[in-house]
Amino acid sequence: MSRPNKRLSAAPQELVDRSRPIHFEFEGRKIEAYEGDTVSSALSAAGVEIHSRSFKYHRPRGLLCVAGRCPNCLMTVDGTPNVRACTASVRDGMQVITQNAWPSTERDFVSVLDRLDRFLPVGFYYKALHKPKFLWELARPIVRRVAGLGSIDVDSDGGPTSNHTNRHTDVAVIGGGPAGMLAASAAADSGADVTLIDDQTLPGGHLLTDIREYFDVPDGLGLSTTTGHEIAAELRERVLGHQRISVLSSSSAFGMYQDNLLAIQTGRDSLNLRATHVVMATGAFEVPHQFHNNDLPGVMLASGALRLARLWGISPGKTAIVTTNDDSGYWAALNLSDAGIVVSAILDSRVVPDSDLLTLVRTAGIEVLAGQTINSAQGTKRVKSIATTSANGETRNIECDLICMSGAWQGASGLLLQSSSAGVDHDGIVRSGVPENVTIAGGVGGVHDLGALLSQAGLAGKRAAAKVGFGVPDDLPAIEAELSVFKSPTTSSAESSASPITQTKKTFVCFCEDVSTKDIAVAVEEGFGDVQTLKRYTTSTMGPCQGKMCHKAFVEVAALNLGLSVKDAGATTSRPPAQPVALGTLAGQNHMPRKRSPLHYVHEQLGAEIVELGPWLRPHNYGSPQDEVLAVRERVGIIDVSTLGKLDIRGPDAGKLLDRVYTHRFSNLREGHIRYGLLCSEAGSIMDDGTVTRMADDHYFVTTTTGNVDAIEDWFNWWMAGTGMDVYVTNVTAAWGAINVAGPRARETLAKLTDVDLSPKAFDYMRSATGEVAGVPSIFLRIGFVGETGWEVHFPAEYAEHLWNTVMEAGSEYGISPFGLEAQRILRLEKGHIIVNQDTDAVTDPLDAGMRWAVRFDKPDFIGRAGIAATRDRESKQSLVGFIADDGFVPEDGLSIVTNGQPVGRVTSSRFSPTRGVGFGLAWVPIEMAEDGTRIFIQSGRNEWPATVITEPIYDPEGSRLRA
Amino acid sequence: MRQLLTPNSMWSTHELKDRYDVVIIGAGIHGLSTAYYLAKRGITNVAVLDKGYVGGGASGRNTAIIRANYLTREGIPFFRESLSLYEDLAQELDFNLLFDQSGRLDLGHSESAVYGLRMRTGVNKLLGVDSRMIGPSEIKELVPAIDLRVGKPLPVMGALYQSSAGVIRHDAVVWGYGRGADRQGVEIHPFTDVTGIVRENGSVVGVDVGDRRISADIVMSATAGWSSNIARMVDMKLPLITHPLQAFVTEPLKPFIDRSVSSANLHVYVYQTDRGEVVVGGGVDPYSSYSQRSTLHTLEELAANMLELFPFLRGVNVMRQWAGLCDMSPDYAPIMGEVDGLPGFLLSCGWGTWGFKAGPIGGYTMAELIDTGKTPDLIRPFNLRRFSRGELVNERAAAPAAAVH
Ligand SMILES: Cc1cc2nc3c(=O)[nH]c(=O)nc-3n(C[C@H](O)[C@H](O)[C@H](O)COP(=O)(O)OP(=O)(O)OC[C@H]3O[C@@H](n4cnc5c(N)ncnc54)[C@H](O)[C@@H]3O)c2cc1C
Ligand code: FES
Repeated sequence: MSRPNKRLSAAPQELVDRSRPIHFEFEGRKIEAYEGDTVSSALSAAGVEIHSRSFKYHRPRGLLCVAGRCPNCLMTVDGTPNVRACTASVRDGMQVITQNAWPSTERDFVSVLDRLDRFLPVGFYYKALHKPKFLWELARPIVRRVAGLGSIDVDSDGGPTSNHTNRHTDVAVIGGGPAGMLAASAAADSGADVTLIDDQTLPGGHLLTDIREYFDVPDGLGLSTTTGHEIAAELRERVLGHQRISVLSSSSAFGMYQDNLLAIQTGRDSLNLRATHVVMATGAFEVPHQFHNNDLPGVMLASGALRLARLWGISPGKTAIVTTNDDSGYWAALNLSDAGIVVSAILDSRVVPDSDLLTLVRTAGIEVLAGQTINSAQGTKRVKSIATTSANGETRNIECDLICMSGAWQGASGLLLQSSSAGVDHDGIVRSGVPENVTIAGGVGGVHDLGALLSQAGLAGKRAAAKVGFGVPDDLPAIEAELSVFKSPTTSSAESSASPITQTKKTFVCFCEDVSTKDIAVAVEEGFGDVQTLKRYTTSTMGPCQGKMCHKAFVEVAALNLGLSVKDAGATTSRPPAQPVALGTLAGQNHMPRKRSPLHYVHEQLGAEIVELGPWLRPHNYGSPQDEVLAVRERVGIIDVSTLGKLDIRGPDAGKLLDRVYTHRFSNLREGHIRYGLLCSEAGSIMDDGTVTRMADDHYFVTTTTGNVDAIEDWFNWWMAGTGMDVYVTNVTAAWGAINVAGPRARETLAKLTDVDLSPKAFDYMRSATGEVAGVPSIFLRIGFVGETGWEVHFPAEYAEHLWNTVMEAGSEYGISPFGLEAQRILRLEKGHIIVNQDTDAVTDPLDAGMRWAVRFDKPDFIGRAGIAATRDRESKQSLVGFIADDGFVPEDGLSIVTNGQPVGRVTSSRFSPTRGVGFGLAWVPIEMAEDGTRIFIQSGRNEWPATVITEPIYDPEGSRLRA
Repeated sequence: MRQLLTPNSMWSTHELKDRYDVVIIGAGIHGLSTAYYLAKRGITNVAVLDKGYVGGGASGRNTAIIRANYLTREGIPFFRESLSLYEDLAQELDFNLLFDQSGRLDLGHSESAVYGLRMRTGVNKLLGVDSRMIGPSEIKELVPAIDLRVGKPLPVMGALYQSSAGVIRHDAVVWGYGRGADRQGVEIHPFTDVTGIVRENGSVVGVDVGDRRISADIVMSATAGWSSNIARMVDMKLPLITHPLQAFVTEPLKPFIDRSVSSANLHVYVYQTDRGEVVVGGGVDPYSSYSQRSTLHTLEELAANMLELFPFLRGVNVMRQWAGLCDMSPDYAPIMGEVDGLPGFLLSCGWGTWGFKAGPIGGYTMAELIDTGKTPDLIRPFNLRRFSRGELVNERAAAPAAAVH
């Protein structure tokens, strides 16, 4: 099938390379394009007019802004939904489909909704389908299916991941229009490193499509040309060639966060750029006018039509009418006509006196209809004509297939507003309150005249440089004085142009959400009395363009209906991102590292079952946890405890710091002694536990639970900050490996490998020593989590395998066995030792947990003291106790303890004890049940299982084996 | 249908009077629902004052997850009753609140997380909440789009599933209560900043609004994230710390997930609205602040974490990011009712990241307290005095399974 080709003759500024054809598929149809085309330009060339269907009414929509700002060209490209087709470059073989239409955007049956609009007033979904109740359950799936835009393939892998880069720059200039380019070069000339960020493929901004000659360009800027697009080219060469300017094209700054942190996306990737100073040169862009059917395909922003014609050489229509309320419409008309588009008339709402401009336009054969406003556009799938009213009330129909809207501008200040409370009116123009580390240049500050804009931008660049210490900082006051001349008009244009606003159901304010002037009027009538609630009720400004096309009109229409001035009506909040950004771009490479202990491969060789514990991979068992328990109880066992958090605390105030953060006292701990350490939150709840060993007068070795060490390190540093304490906290978790050798034959095993005297007399329980094990310098800690004689041995991680293997060999004659996490859990449970966060929860305090002995109220102060003291003064309501279940029942961790079917407590840990041959564990119970021998009931499924409370550990309650 | 064809009326504007029976500070869900239930009890000389627009606090910024699968004997019945009020609220208010009771999954990716979920499930069942533990295959049936992370770090090991949980349209609830209260005679005063609280002989007798003095028999603060500021007006320090909480939505997509999914291990929760937007949130910011500004770090982290569960969304665009304030209490439970030694003053705060779902029951019980002068049993455990008595209601759960929202 032959299709129209709407290419104009080649223009010098165009971005397409007509010698390089490319093909892609659109709805299964082959489309011919050129390199440099966007999906939209290629589709327009091929005669596709309807690019999307609207969100609510499924109305046909054609190209509007052609700059990636509006919702009209959202398509699914290679499986990615909601792609702005007008900024997506074509690639060979690309698959493009339309969205939100059935069966196709050309003939969408769902568009019956457009005619049922009577039943779909603003907020209709709040007003219907809820009575009777079941109706909503029936309707909801249908509502869900009709809403939504693109669809997503849940089986796809989402495509490649993105990269993140972090950088710093002296001055970031956002916006590559004339203001941005000039400011960038001025700042760089002063010596600053500048990053220029522009979202178009080619910097130049609105001058790219401008053939107007400017005779008022100030001297001293070194510009040799006078035509718009030539000036753009000259400035472009300047910034691209400047060694201190790095130009990021096709890059959009979507976020501006505190302290000038700019989030920028380039393609898939993202750059987080911290700028000492930002020059905001984001410009202003055109927005639609409000008239009936203002969304018909063929109604475009003048700038959009011009971009299509100039940058991609495509005719947006045969006969155009330009509507405007200021001079910019005349220049738009001249530009369009120069590009080869027939402009039959300019419709100017003002009554304009004769001027040179008028003559110029008339000479170009364009009729000027002054004092005329547009009532409506007519047509079904494309504009056929326009209906107007003149000042004296005459109406008239004029045929045309293109309406170019010009003269309504909105400043691109969304980015600035994300991070500051600058004074910006509803039209987006920045008027005051700009933070000290930001300078405004060009259209976003209301300066539109090119000559003035260039002068201002040059000064803005100099100011930015001076602010970061380049150029002549002494000149700053002078520069600022000069800059202050370029104040934008204080009243926003809208206030003066009180053109009547048509209020019909199809006079659209918000294109994304199909909100009309009428909808806003109704919402006001219903009682929504401010722009914030009006916004949320009508959903205006809440669509994919986030108000870029509608904020100004929304506030104007709201103000009109509320009887307020636009100033008093206010503005809605601008939120990141300023341009939509893909989740993958934000996510970057998500690193979820898995940590392996230095003994990991030994465990693998031994056939261990490996489990994840936080980031760590740890051996759960080596075959039989029960056998491993018995090996420790009867012979000797070895476990890898390298994953324990380890902190090296040094300095004269080390003891003082530990006294402050731990509940126990450590400044009086003797060298070579170990004490249990309990760490509490400010509220007095248990956070972590471990051991503290005094290595020397000013040196402690601290262990924390696996996985918590980073938080604890932060916690220590946090409590040290600002106190002047002379302490160094070093996280040595990865540097040290550790094993625990425990059991009745542990002493004999280790004694074979070390000179350290391990005899009971020489090496007491809770003591430490340093010495070599198998030739490796080590720290010995005699502690007993598992309840047997044993040593935790810490050593440089690189010797881990050697040490492990040597100990295994030495222990072989005693029947040594490696044991894993599971055996360790059973062993400690038999001893009634708690695991923080398993047996305690986020509000457990040490007293309830039965650890009164670990809290020293007699020291001055410590973190959590007040909280714990409060508990001290009242009776505990619950208690952590042991229990033995009847009939060999082994409850799962977490089951409820019940009385009369009501939950009164819970099991925190429970296992089968191979030593005693019973199911047992720890549980929180009400204090009145905490007595030895109390019968309790555990709810499992539908059954209640009886158990008996015990207040002593089931294994070695006196601790004689531990101390042996 | 009639509602559809004629503009309805939400609420009317009034001149501020000099005296009301009850002044409620804060026109969020708690302030408005209290006003609504007061009016139902015939107490209509009530003013709800807000410094901003109606619902402009956390009530207009939250992600509106409604569930009852809490942890404690005190919390579960409270949230269960709230859910049951929510079930008929659209009919009661004659306003479609778009309540989707499509279920919610709390994922566990580690043994300790599963332990915490099991703990909750057990207590839930005993207290009449339809929670159950489900395994990976049932998770996949309920949420076919999810990546169970087999062979990856943090594989999905199980989930607590509450089928009656859901999501609601937060604005609609706020407006529905506002409209309902207004229709019964309550006055709603947006843009009315309470600048002081008036005390006489140790009792609270009114509020100052700039230079206007408004007297009232009862003043109730329902100011959530700003509660500490209000408390300061009566020289009181509350055990609350205000933290920002952030969330974002994507551009609308055709439906691919019906239920809400939360993962404490990945610090993220996700669901899709009826409009097709994917809502993503996580935990509160680690620092305290009154700023409602969003941060890049959180946005990046939330995006990364949610893609771990739904990797196919990588190309989908984020549309809007925002932040709200959360008044976090030490035990993650609310603070409600009278304040010892300060007659005439009532608190409804400590709503943290979880208070929206409590809106109906919170208002209902506070209204009962105001009307009868007696604290309803359901909220007795939540009184402020629990902190001095050491009777915390631990809703925080074991750390790794900490459930939010
Ligand atoms: C991002 C986010 C997601 C959340 N998600 C959930 C969720 O999924 N489920 C859930 O249950 N909860 C959630 N929450 C929590 C929930 O939103 C809040 O707990 C709840 O909305 C609190 O309601 P409120 O009426 O008490 O307070 P708010 O809605 O915050 O209202 C307090 C009002 O007090 C006003 N005020 C303050 N000071 C003054 C003064 N001096 N004078 C007059 N007025 C004043 C404020 O302007 C404000 O409007 C979330 C919160 C956030 C921020
Ligand atoms: S036009 Fe996009 S949000 Fe209104």
